Amino acid sequence: MATHEEITASLLAFQEGYNKNERLKIMNRDWDRVVLVQASDIPSQHTLELRNGELSVREGAPPRADLTVISDSETLADLFYGDITPTEPYMNGTLKIIGSEDDIVRLDFISLMIWGE
Amino acid sequence: MALKRVLTLRTVIATSAGLTLASSSFVAAVQVASFLAGDAAWLAILTAGFLCLGAACCFSELNARLPSAAGIRLYFSRAFNDRLALTISLLYMTVVMGVVGAESYVLAFVLNAAFPAVPPLAWILVMFMVVTAMNIRGVKIAGTFQELITCGLMGSLLVLGFMALSKVNFHLTGPFATGGLPAFISAVAVGVFLFVGFEWVTPLAEEVTHSRQVSRGMLLAVGLLSVVYALFTVAMTATTPRQALVASPAPQVVFARNVLGPAGVIWMVILSLAASITTFNAGLISVSRFVYASAREYVLPPVFSRLSMRFFTPWVAILTVFATGVIISLVVLVTHRYLVLVNLAAAIEAIVYALAGLAVIRLRQKDRRTGGIFVPVITALVFAGLAVAVMLTDLYVLPCLVAGFAIMWWYVYRVVPVLKSRYQPRRPSRRRPVAGTAEAGCEKS
Repeated sequence: MATHEEITASLLAFQEGYNKNERLKIMNRDWDRVVLVQASDIPSQHTLELRNGELSVREGAPPRADLTVISDSETLADLFYGDITPTEPYMNGTLKIIGSEDDIVRLDFISLMIWGE
Repeated sequence: MALKRVLTLRTVIATSAGLTLASSSFVAAVQVASFLAGDAAWLAILTAGFLCLGAACCFSELNARLPSAAGIRLYFSRAFNDRLALTISLLYMTVVMGVVGAESYVLAFVLNAAFPAVPPLAWILVMFMVVTAMNIRGVKIAGTFQELITCGLMGSLLVLGFMALSKVNFHLTGPFATGGLPAFISAVAVGVFLFVGFEWVTPLAEEVTHSRQVSRGMLLAVGLLSVVYALFTVAMTATTPRQALVASPAPQVVFARNVLGPAGVIWMVILSLAASITTFNAGLISVSRFVYASAREYVLPPVFSRLSMRFFTPWVAILTVFATGVIISLVVLVTHRYLVLVNLAAAIEAIVYALAGLAVIRLRQKDRRTGGIFVPVITALVFAGLAVAVMLTDLYVLPCLVAGFAIMWWYVYRVVPVLKSRYQPRRPSRRRPVAGTAEAGCEKS
């Protein structure tokens, strides 16, 4: 089981990877979304916010989310560190993403661009 | 915290019914009628619809437990095991491609009836290219547009049905003459094809305002479809010679011409186009997304997970599906064996519904939950029986299914482990011991 701090660190690593990728920022300029990242086994909530192509990370839940990513703390930490792809836990039901299908594909794409296959 | 969810019950019903209503449905409806002695197709269709309600209940429960776009892949993986789930999903997606092939063939003949100068092959290529371009650009049929299409289609079919029946003063020949139990069972088994795809609406579970709406929407859609199909099929067989309907790959056009003349043909061409566009598009999107997701988990080579940098769509997967669809359509065009694909789809759908019933029972056992056992048991038994009935009706179906299952089983057991060992990255974990994080740029709220 990962801790809340480990999830925070993984999200910051994700943010760092994102911010280094100028092409990704340009591609997401028109994709303003608020993503809630919630652990199912520990009390841990984070908000990822994409606005004008810039990604910010906050602890706590947003008032309104476009996408909600729910999984156990270990999977979340592995996922945002890029140690695993989102598809496998999504297909076996460990990872739940609530939102539109297009947004889910876009999130997967961002992960692919940051961490590679 | 609130989530922006946008789809309503009306959209769910329209999507479920819209995905199911296709041009090839009319071919299946005529096939159902051809098994029976009199104008008793309505009995077989309502029975098939009633049985599909049981399957819809099972899908509702599975969707409530595991609300995910992964659908049967996740349900069967949790209930049985991942390899069986993958084998069935691969086989199911292959058959969906076959349905798309049959659909394009039927629609090409519908359009050829209106514009005889253009050969069916040209229509097939144009349709595939249009839908592929839509898929690559990420164009989706909006909820409101889907509602309009489905309402227009159902309304038109009802009006056309009543107009046709009024021509014969609502006189039916042998409305209860089924011609015996074996014939009736065969008719019901093929009738399942009429409802193929109602459960494709389950991926919307992540987008609706209340998750129960998907369950209610599926049940209402199956009920509405049963009534519309029953009325329209009886109208077709009561007013048009059965031999003429059975002999044509576009029986709805033969019927419309018989009832309303050239105006009827134009009306039916528009209806068929509207019916096909949603099924065709949804079929191609489902398969291409499945190919993409499979490549992301190294079930297929990673080349299929390439995304368009401009449109954020899996272009390699979409083009592969395009090429496969065109090849299947060409084979159907040369062999004229579109009914094999219709029956194959009815059989695999019956198998999937039977497995859905078993999955409900198995998941209840695993979670030690109680619940009425009647619906899942009856669903599993009835649809297993209907799958056998389809196989006995069309002798091509069993060898095709056995061969398909054997190939997929071999692929899952032999090829997938090789792909995973070759492509799955073996990189060291990026995780590091955690120090203070707030200072590193994370705001506390």
